[in-house]
Amino acid sequence: MTGLRRGLHRAGIRPRLRRRELTLLLVVGLALVTGWASLAAQQAGTLDLGEPTLLIVYLGVLLAIHVAFLISGRRMDQYLLPTAGMLGGLSLLLMMRLPQGMAGQSLFGTLLPLAPLQLVWLVLGFGLLGAVAVLVRNDGWLRRYKYTWAAIGIGLLLLVFIFGDSRGGQLLTLRIGPFSGQPSELLKVILVVFVAGYLAENRALLTMTSSRLGPIRMPPVPYMLPMLVMWGLALAIVVIQRDLGAALLFFLIFLALLYTATRRAAYVLTGLALFAAGGFVVYELFSHVQQRIDIWLDPSADPLGAGYQILRAMYAFGRGGVLGTGLGGGLPQIGGAPAIPAIHTDFVFAALAEELGMLGGLAILALYGIIAQRGLRIAATAADDFRALLATGLTLVIVVQAAIIIGGNLRVIPLTGVTLPLISYGGSSLLVNGAIVGLLLALSDPGAELPPLPSRRPSLWRRLTGRARDVGGRIEEAIS
Amino acid sequence: MSRAWQPTQPGRSPDIGGSLLRLALAMLIGYGALAAGLAYWQVIDAERLSTDPRNPLVIAAARNAPRGSIYDTNGELLAHNLRVGGGQQQRAYPAAVAAPVVGYRSIIFGSAGLERTYDAQLTGLRSGSAADDLLRKFRADPYDPADLHLSLDLRLQEYAAQQLGDFRGAIVAIEPSTGRILAMVTSPTFDPNRIVDPQRGARYVARLRDRSDSPLLNRATQGLYVPGSVFKIVTAGAGLGSNAISGGTTYESQPEEYETGFLVEGFRIRDAPRSVQTDHPLDFLEATEVSSNIWYAHAALDIGAQGLLEWAGRFGFGERIPFDLPTSASQVTRAGGPLAGFSDRVELANAAYGQGQVLVTPLQMALVAATIANGGVAMKPKLVDEFRTASGQVTRVGPEAWRTVLDRGDAQLIREAMQLAVEGQYGRRFAGGARIDGVSVAGKTGTAQVGPRDEPHSWFIGFAPADSPQIAVAVIVENGGSGGERAAPIGGRLMARYLQLQR
Amino acid sequence: MDTFTIALWVLRLAFVALIYIFLLLVVRGLWRDLRAGIASAGEPIGRLLVVAAPEGQPPAGSAFALDAVNSIGRDVNNSIVVEDTFVSAEHAMLTFRGRAWFIEDRGSTNGTWVNGQRVETYLPLGFGDEIQVGQVRLRLERPRIT
Repeated sequence: MTGLRRGLHRAGIRPRLRRRELTLLLVVGLALVTGWASLAAQQAGTLDLGEPTLLIVYLGVLLAIHVAFLISGRRMDQYLLPTAGMLGGLSLLLMMRLPQGMAGQSLFGTLLPLAPLQLVWLVLGFGLLGAVAVLVRNDGWLRRYKYTWAAIGIGLLLLVFIFGDSRGGQLLTLRIGPFSGQPSELLKVILVVFVAGYLAENRALLTMTSSRLGPIRMPPVPYMLPMLVMWGLALAIVVIQRDLGAALLFFLIFLALLYTATRRAAYVLTGLALFAAGGFVVYELFSHVQQRIDIWLDPSADPLGAGYQILRAMYAFGRGGVLGTGLGGGLPQIGGAPAIPAIHTDFVFAALAEELGMLGGLAILALYGIIAQRGLRIAATAADDFRALLATGLTLVIVVQAAIIIGGNLRVIPLTGVTLPLISYGGSSLLVNGAIVGLLLALSDPGAELPPLPSRRPSLWRRLTGRARDVGGRIEEAIS
Repeated sequence: MSRAWQPTQPGRSPDIGGSLLRLALAMLIGYGALAAGLAYWQVIDAERLSTDPRNPLVIAAARNAPRGSIYDTNGELLAHNLRVGGGQQQRAYPAAVAAPVVGYRSIIFGSAGLERTYDAQLTGLRSGSAADDLLRKFRADPYDPADLHLSLDLRLQEYAAQQLGDFRGAIVAIEPSTGRILAMVTSPTFDPNRIVDPQRGARYVARLRDRSDSPLLNRATQGLYVPGSVFKIVTAGAGLGSNAISGGTTYESQPEEYETGFLVEGFRIRDAPRSVQTDHPLDFLEATEVSSNIWYAHAALDIGAQGLLEWAGRFGFGERIPFDLPTSASQVTRAGGPLAGFSDRVELANAAYGQGQVLVTPLQMALVAATIANGGVAMKPKLVDEFRTASGQVTRVGPEAWRTVLDRGDAQLIREAMQLAVEGQYGRRFAGGARIDGVSVAGKTGTAQVGPRDEPHSWFIGFAPADSPQIAVAVIVENGGSGGERAAPIGGRLMARYLQLQR
Repeated sequence: MDTFTIALWVLRLAFVALIYIFLLLVVRGLWRDLRAGIASAGEPIGRLLVVAAPEGQPPAGSAFALDAVNSIGRDVNNSIVVEDTFVSAEHAMLTFRGRAWFIEDRGSTNGTWVNGQRVETYLPLGFGDEIQVGQVRLRLERPRIT
């Protein structure tokens, strides 16, 4: 046994017990099993508990990842995996309860309905989470190639724009053979990587100098340019694609990262003002935006058309009460269709709140809160600016997106089409969010490789302007 | 030489910690808002949402457990479900005359009347008792629709509607000892069957809404009218209750004021010509029998503005009477004036005989009559006698005393006065139409002036038999002329019919 | 109320209760971490002992208490000020990352040396290792146990 250990040590691997994570995972497992039991009982009408295969596979995957973490010996955060596991488990339970025909895909010859399909995505997503957490040891591949990443991101967007599959007026999915995905999910991460990298590199300049437009303080325009261009492009394409939720998300994350890096509230205020102005213009110009806002304010104005979804969601909430109707007790199908359209993507929160009650809904909010706390803490104790900003951005991608869709469900803000991370049905969403959590875990290891010294070659921009300044300086000297 | 590179940032710049803290705070606030929203929809507004007729759950429940029916006190069907073609259920109302009470329930137009008030019980989402509701949450199939059994008597209702005919107005009949509503008619009214008709409902409702005479308004509970002399009963109650007057109170100046009019701050109050004895000052019984405005004006001034408001308040003025249907609050004055709400003594004097700013609902006046009939105790008016669920559960709604307005003695005295007003030698000239053969009737007419160009409203309130009353009524015929002309005969016949039906 | 309904209710409530137990465990853990973090915040994590300083500043034998991040150089804004002719204004950076100490050269004129080896980008250090900047020799020591 010691021989094995010595061998592993030589390879740089030192297994480490992760007691807290194990305890929490056990509680998660227990909770999910109880939940499944209550679902099965409610659906069957008796205490016959049926077949928990899907759940067992899921719990097994979580356990396997825990063991992988243990063996890798990395001292990563021990709360993220259980929390993500709980969220994923709730997703699985919900998918088991919804009408199975809502989604279907043929994999390896068999047609998989909703629940097994979601399990497949969960396994892949968590697998990716585990792989990223264990294998990613340095961030150079993100840090150094931020412009490349940006280019890839824009390229993806253009691909979707040109070849995309339009569904419900939104160009969101890209079909490659039998697989379809939503590049906008990946684009969020790419944007965060780019913005984090750029801000980290130019932080000092951005903080210390600023352009003034009359009374308004803006970050120095020349230095902001690449970022603004990237952001503006992403925004424009997203607006054209009518993915308003993603546009909102991009914007908020961008502002948050800008504030985190520069600590200038003035920038945030300017940004918000721009947002308000932009929002107003968009409202006037686009009828679908108007519709969204009108329905948000008074859904009963169009109870059978556009307001249908949100009204149904309201009834679901009301029905849940404090304790909920129990898993499986949610609104019945009406004429073969589920009570709320898109219940498995846009309205999962309403469905869970109905069945688990207000207590359950608050618990879900708390789970995302835990992700937020852990993520921000990872940022706060990160080894350098880039990692801090990256961790912040990644955390926000999950937590702010959750807030946006939950807010839309609750009519606190207008409804948008973003998914509830780790809970909504959808492969792209699960894969990307799994990777995000994995990255956060990788970043949380205090023993991770040091960030390199900034290269002695300054950025392209600085080089160009440096040249100009050199020339200018010589002219100055010549004249004086 | 320009710096070729940036100095190593010492790990993570300390500022970031502060920004992150602020960011965390922003997140906390955001999520706090979400939690508040959740609590709102799931707890605060949940009731309304769960009984909303557009709620697919409610719709589904209706399909599985059909909505309860509504019956009158004799088991006559007032509302029920009909199976129409295509397996659908539609609401049908065999007795359209009960429309103002029963209301309607339409997917498109919502609901009104008892169909609305007891929607939850009719659907079965809630039962008549709160304790049962709590236990119900634990049952697998929680829907238990209830039938409503009303106190309404369809025969009386039909008779009353017939009596009112094409005139605009309202009739309310109460059982004084229990507060049960025996009949409630408003005219014009509507046909609920046509409202729930899927094809023609929209056009019918549009036409109803266009009409200037508001057929959808329940005049009995929400129509506000100038009462005229029927309000004198309230003034009497206020006077006797506060001891400002007694049975023997007289005003010396009265006979003379019959000629000159009673001058109050420049305003001249007169009694109707040849209606009042002029050889002696009248006492309470006499003044009520002949409906003397001058006497009552004196009385009101003696009672005082505060006193009149207070005692009228005991009858229910100034508040919405608690009832199974929405009610409007009757008022003695519009308030805001310097004299405890009245603008001046003139208004107070006018209020004594139901003019001025006094506005009443027929329900309120019926309640006044019923209170006198019941020895000064006002019973809470109610329409529902019991709930009977499909599973066999019966919940009775017992009579409930609302308040004690006057003591027995005062009520007795007023009753005597009201008896004289109908049957007395002078009284019968006004309210004689309300007399019933072989039965002692107590009542009061009112002729409410509503302006120089319009006919006054014709009012009557009363109860019978006077010694042990079984029914109290309030009748108003809009622009029907004097009280004795229209309202009193209707009131009398109505009470007679009811007593007949009881035998 | 039959046994099935009761059992169902127990299961439903237990499910929600378990989720809350999870939350409570997490919060408890976080709270403990926070307290531990605060408690250890004030303690020094190492000392830098001045072995030799020919020009007298800083005096030989003195020791600096170390934070996680320490800058070394001639300029007074450094956390460890070394007044030596051959030391650059901003000479080196000594940081504690995760579980080890690291020394970085900040582009000094004469370089930074550890145990005789020149620091190219950064080098890890252990307690007892000796750093040389200019003519000054410094040794990384454990924190003194107070």
